[in-house]
Amino acid sequence: MAVQSWIDALKSSKKTALIDDGKRKIHYLFTDGKEMAEEYDLKTDELIVRKWRQKSSLGGQGLWQVEVGEPITGSTSSLDSELLKENSSNPLFLRKDTKTSFQWRIRNLCYPKDVFSVSVEQSEKCIIIKTSNKKYYKKFTIPDLERTHIPLEDSALSFSHANNTLIISYKKPKEILNLEQELLKELKRLKGAAEGDMDCKTQ
Amino acid sequence: VAAQMANTKVPEVRDITRIERIGAHSHIRGLGLDDALEARQVSQGMVGQLAPRRAAGVILEMIKDGHIAGRAVLIAGQPGTGKTAIAMGVAQSLGPDTPFTALAGSEIFSLEMSKTEALSQSFRKAMGVRIKEETEIIEGEVVEIQIDRPATGTGTKVGKLTLKTTEMETIYDLGNKMIESLSKEKVQAGDVITIDKATGKISKLGRSFTRARDYDAMGAQTQFVQCPEGELQKRKEVVHTVSLHEIDVINSRTQGFLALFSGDTGEIKPEVREQINAKVCEWREEGKAEIIPGVLFIDEVHMLDMECFSFLNRALESDLAPVLIMATNRGITRIRGTNYQSPHGIPIDLLDRLLIIVTSPYTEKETRQILKIRCQEEDVELSEEAHTVLTRIGMETSLRYAIQLISTAGLVCRKRKGTEVQVEDIKRVYSLFLDEARSSQYMKEYQDSFLFNETQSTSMDTSQ
Repeated sequence: MAVQSWIDALKSSKKTALIDDGKRKIHYLFTDGKEMAEEYDLKTDELIVRKWRQKSSLGGQGLWQVEVGEPITGSTSSLDSELLKENSSNPLFLRKDTKTSFQWRIRNLCYPKDVFSVSVEQSEKCIIIKTSNKKYYKKFTIPDLERTHIPLEDSALSFSHANNTLIISYKKPKEILNLEQELLKELKRLKGAAEGDMDCKTQ
Repeated sequence: VAAQMANTKVPEVRDITRIERIGAHSHIRGLGLDDALEARQVSQGMVGQLAPRRAAGVILEMIKDGHIAGRAVLIAGQPGTGKTAIAMGVAQSLGPDTPFTALAGSEIFSLEMSKTEALSQSFRKAMGVRIKEETEIIEGEVVEIQIDRPATGTGTKVGKLTLKTTEMETIYDLGNKMIESLSKEKVQAGDVITIDKATGKISKLGRSFTRARDYDAMGAQTQFVQCPEGELQKRKEVVHTVSLHEIDVINSRTQGFLALFSGDTGEIKPEVREQINAKVCEWREEGKAEIIPGVLFIDEVHMLDMECFSFLNRALESDLAPVLIMATNRGITRIRGTNYQSPHGIPIDLLDRLLIIVTSPYTEKETRQILKIRCQEEDVELSEEAHTVLTRIGMETSLRYAIQLISTAGLVCRKRKGTEVQVEDIKRVYSLFLDEARSSQYMKEYQDSFLFNETQSTSMDTSQ
């Protein structure tokens, strides 16, 4: 089964764990050279950050791609400021999961709720956000479901709008819930190594 | 009144990108060959030297085919017979996608880097790899472009760019470099553009159909395109050429690519190079990448020493070697770093591997033609008589000296408020500046009154 192959990949990856700043931080190095970093809240066990990094095709170190959590800001190089960046008034897309559902928040969207339509696009295996005033459009996938080859369901999707923020929720399927519990158990068993600063062995 | 006008004129803001300096070979635009590789008498800035140009054309075809690695060519000839011009012509005809690296023989002598490392690096700079890479691009129709200049006229500009697709709209803050390239490309509202996010390269796709009915003066080539659909940011595969050296640098340390900007690359470990070579060959077999052998041009090659020559012998045998073009103006002379004499100051075993092209001195007619081209390049008008006089000077002294006189005579002419350089202007600068022969004559006559005149007995040795 497809879920199993992802579990195997996780098991075979080299893992380093570290407890710091009230968070459990885990670094994974997969056999194909990809790196994944996760941060869990120590008290609630909620996933705060998950990001990926991959070597570029020429061998250079890539940048972290954030899958879950706040996008990395402030580390933009001087080159970026010479070129162009998105204005801060633009909608900001980020994923922030809860225990039972995947959740996305899009801030800076000050239109009434009936402007938005959110739907599952089965043919492209993604979710599409549209606006009737043609101001915002976003196509995104759920990497967790892609990795485990679980199909998207229309019924699991819902959205609400409040405080200039559009919140989209997708109920986690049973397989994912089981997987996450299992993974968390495994991670807790990992030696939390030292606290504070230390070198990451897998990096 | 004119002076007053000049004073009150607001100082023009000079755009740095537009200033082009005139170099010694900036008039060369190619080798000037026809389809049958036959050299035209005057074409693409080239004059005369028909046989050498034809030979270079054959080499060019060999480079374009790219099958044979590590061939080497030597261009030999007296000073001022167009050796560097031929090499530049080759570079120009190869186009921007084939790497061309030029260096002078003396450039490799540095205290920070060994000679062979410097040579290896230039070899690898001249080898290109065409590879597909995924990059992020922004594609949309310009809704609004707004650039604010500070009131003082200097300082950083700030700007905003609003782009849209059929589904969405986004506002971007512009950096200085982006503002410059947007104004260079003359991007305006209604244009459909793509921006490469990593490099900031802008390409105009055309004007949006929605703007087709605007009453606006536009050229016949204006293309109308549909407003893009979907998201503004897209991932797209692009093919680009990088040199082996760039790949070396990226892989040689963790913050590799930063070193490319600072220029401090240091020495690269041989293991890294071996790894890269293996990787590139693997890519080629998988069809992911294509190797493009470029050209390495070493001017004044007699300045290299014995070690470098033996390194070249070895390096040319590698299957990742570019085509090497060398130029020299020396006859039989000592090989640097040894006591042996050899033609062109190059060891016989290396000479044996070379294809040798010989350039010959220009005829009077050709000299006249070259001077005419240079006058156009330097924007100086010459009267018919002045042209004849300058050609005579060029024949009797040297072509380089005559070329030097063009801009100086032009300046003298401008100072006397003339529009065309006359014989008098040429005479004036001819008396002001000595050519090499007159300078030597002068030295012979007056050397007693110069400092250190007792060293006259030992002749100067420039080959070491």
